[in-house]
Amino acid sequence: MDKRQHPSSFQQLEKLGEGTYATVFKGRNRQTGELVALKEINLDSEEGTPSTAIREISLMKELKHENIVSLYDVIHTENKLMLVFEYMDKDLKKYMDSRGNQGALDQFTVKSFMHQLLQGIAFCHENRVLHRDLKPQNLLINSKMQLKLGDFGLARAFGIPVNTFSNEVVTLWYRAPDVLLGSRTYNTSIDIWSAGCIMAEMYTGRPLFPGTTNDDQLQKIFRLMGTPSERSWPGISQFPEYKPTAQNYFTQDLRIILPTVDSAGMDLLTRMLQLRPEMRISAKDALNHPWFRDVNNQMRPGQSSQQQQQQQMVAQQQQQQAQQQLHAQQVQRQQQQQQQQMMMAGQQTGPGQPGYGMPTYQ
Amino acid sequence: MAEPLSALSNPLVTPDQLTTTSSQLDGILADLEASLRFTGAQLTQAAGILLHLPQELIVQAIVLFYRFYVGSEGGSFLINSVQDVSAACIYLVAKPSFHPQPPRSVLNVYAYLTSSVSPLRSNFDQVSSEKPDPKSYYVSEGEYISRRSTLLQTESIVLRAISFTTQVKAPHTLALTYLQTLSVLPNPPTDKSKALARRTLEHLNTALFSPQLLYLTHQPNGLAIAAIYLAAREVGQKLTAGEWWEVFDVDREELGFLVVGLGSVEGWVKKEMEERGADGRLMVTVKDVEEELARRRKEEGAGTNNVED
Ligand SMILES: Nc1ncnc2c1ncn2[C@@H]1O[C@H](COP(=O)(O)OP(=O)(O)OP(=O)(O)O)[C@@H](O)[C@H]1O
Ligand SMILES: [Mg+2]
Repeated sequence: MDKRQHPSSFQQLEKLGEGTYATVFKGRNRQTGELVALKEINLDSEEGTPSTAIREISLMKELKHENIVSLYDVIHTENKLMLVFEYMDKDLKKYMDSRGNQGALDQFTVKSFMHQLLQGIAFCHENRVLHRDLKPQNLLINSKMQLKLGDFGLARAFGIPVNTFSNEVVTLWYRAPDVLLGSRTYNTSIDIWSAGCIMAEMYTGRPLFPGTTNDDQLQKIFRLMGTPSERSWPGISQFPEYKPTAQNYFTQDLRIILPTVDSAGMDLLTRMLQLRPEMRISAKDALNHPWFRDVNNQMRPGQSSQQQQQQQMVAQQQQQQAQQQLHAQQVQRQQQQQQQQMMMAGQQTGPGQPGYGMPTYQ
Repeated sequence: MAEPLSALSNPLVTPDQLTTTSSQLDGILADLEASLRFTGAQLTQAAGILLHLPQELIVQAIVLFYRFYVGSEGGSFLINSVQDVSAACIYLVAKPSFHPQPPRSVLNVYAYLTSSVSPLRSNFDQVSSEKPDPKSYYVSEGEYISRRSTLLQTESIVLRAISFTTQVKAPHTLALTYLQTLSVLPNPPTDKSKALARRTLEHLNTALFSPQLLYLTHQPNGLAIAAIYLAAREVGQKLTAGEWWEVFDVDREELGFLVVGLGSVEGWVKKEMEERGADGRLMVTVKDVEEELARRRKEEGAGTNNVED
């Protein structure tokens, strides 16, 4: 990662895709012949390095997993950044369009992709990273039928609970209802909602909730999942974007629009597509769902129990940490406000430490 | 190679990176380097406070500031100034956070903090009651455009030097979790438990200013445990008997080192402040550093004869 490469170390081939802030080209390492994906990002003359690039690079350096696309290198030029990624054949959207039966994939492929998707998500969540922008275009497939998460431009490291999030995230179609309702305290469950939408889409080849506006998106969701009420979702009327609607839909049977999903698959899908975020299954639990029993049996003996224990401990610690975070923030904010007032008055509080600290001089 | 779960750890610097820095290769001695780091950390903290940034981000910015100047491949105080790098760190840390700051706000705050009326210049013992004159830190439109271009350029330089390693895990929350695990934070809190939590956080904030760069050489769990150890001793809180720190993956040797390191920061900071307080000098530009080097050479020349440059 740190060996400095030159842009000319790569031969630029055809364009692979275009996103909102970057263009991705196929490339070839001139020395090794290896294929790579080159993501070119323009530096903004008013803002400098885009925040999406700062997030994506700093997070992807830490997230090394077989279901997350690898970032090999970052090359700086005068007014561009070039991210060198592992080469993947296509994104899931293009894969479905090319392979599927009118976009629909067979059950075996759907299960394998879902398992890999959830493994990637579980790894992110264990490392306290939310992807926030899961959609078929951001999932990449290679020739070995491996699925990997890409495009971490909106991802965030989180300390639980996460509040004051901007709600301008996640492409509309895969956006969780709590986010659409204006919730700013969402967490890992938003990635699970997206995964549920993607699972349904792989079965049918069509997006499950192709909304056009925030309201339309919510309506499409409620039409299928039922209009929530204060009774089914206590507190729903408190959401900023909540509007009592004239239309009250009943919950539909998902099997009608997804007739090819078996009952275990339907059970898992239903657990992912819960309107209430706290009811949604976690990525880790989803991986242990009976629907994946055949996949899990096939896998190598896999993780040692020691590894699993370690992960459990980390998870517990994180939960405790979350509880403490609020407390810490309160203590710190108080201190900070005091200091701020003093700074503004041109005063200093400690030996040049207008912050928190300096025990004895206060 | 797959790296271990990194949720609770930071990339650390090697002893070599600490002792061989670009600044030293450029002729800046270790004591001056430490002063410049301290000035930068202080400046960064003051800017973060004026911008209403949460402490988590301020800690992150200060650690990035340190990371930038470490190692022979890192930045040099004779090439990238304290004020430019500090501003770039604050700016780039805030940008992807929930508290993004426009370049204008960042530059205004730095103009104030490096101006002749900066609160950082005054001796901390003498509290000035004069209202600062806003004209002394006004940034004109033309000046703003040129400073913004420096800010964005420095941002690029910093990101490149630290190869985008912008994540920093602060030990503060961890320390509070540990205190809870040790069952010394009862609910509702007592005066003693409040003091214990407060002193623990204060020690962690003090550690941020350590000339030994403890945040770059030790993981959050070590820092947290050392802060708890000191705080408990001060407020007279008994902790579980035995080597309780081992439960948190800290051994006696590391704890001992950190307790000594943490304990010495206050005295060191006080000395730095007194030296600066004398004439209100704040070394924040490359020119300031060059002048200081010239001054030191002259002093040496006066003290000993036949010193060649
Ligand atoms: N490693 C890769 N291998 C092959 N194709 C890729 C790779 N990375 C990205 N692509 C293609 O380029 C497209 C855009 O990439 P990416 O999503 O990373 O860009 P973006 O600008 O962040 O997009 P967005 O608009 O979602 O923010 C992808 O949808 C995919 O088709
Ligand atoms: Mg994309």
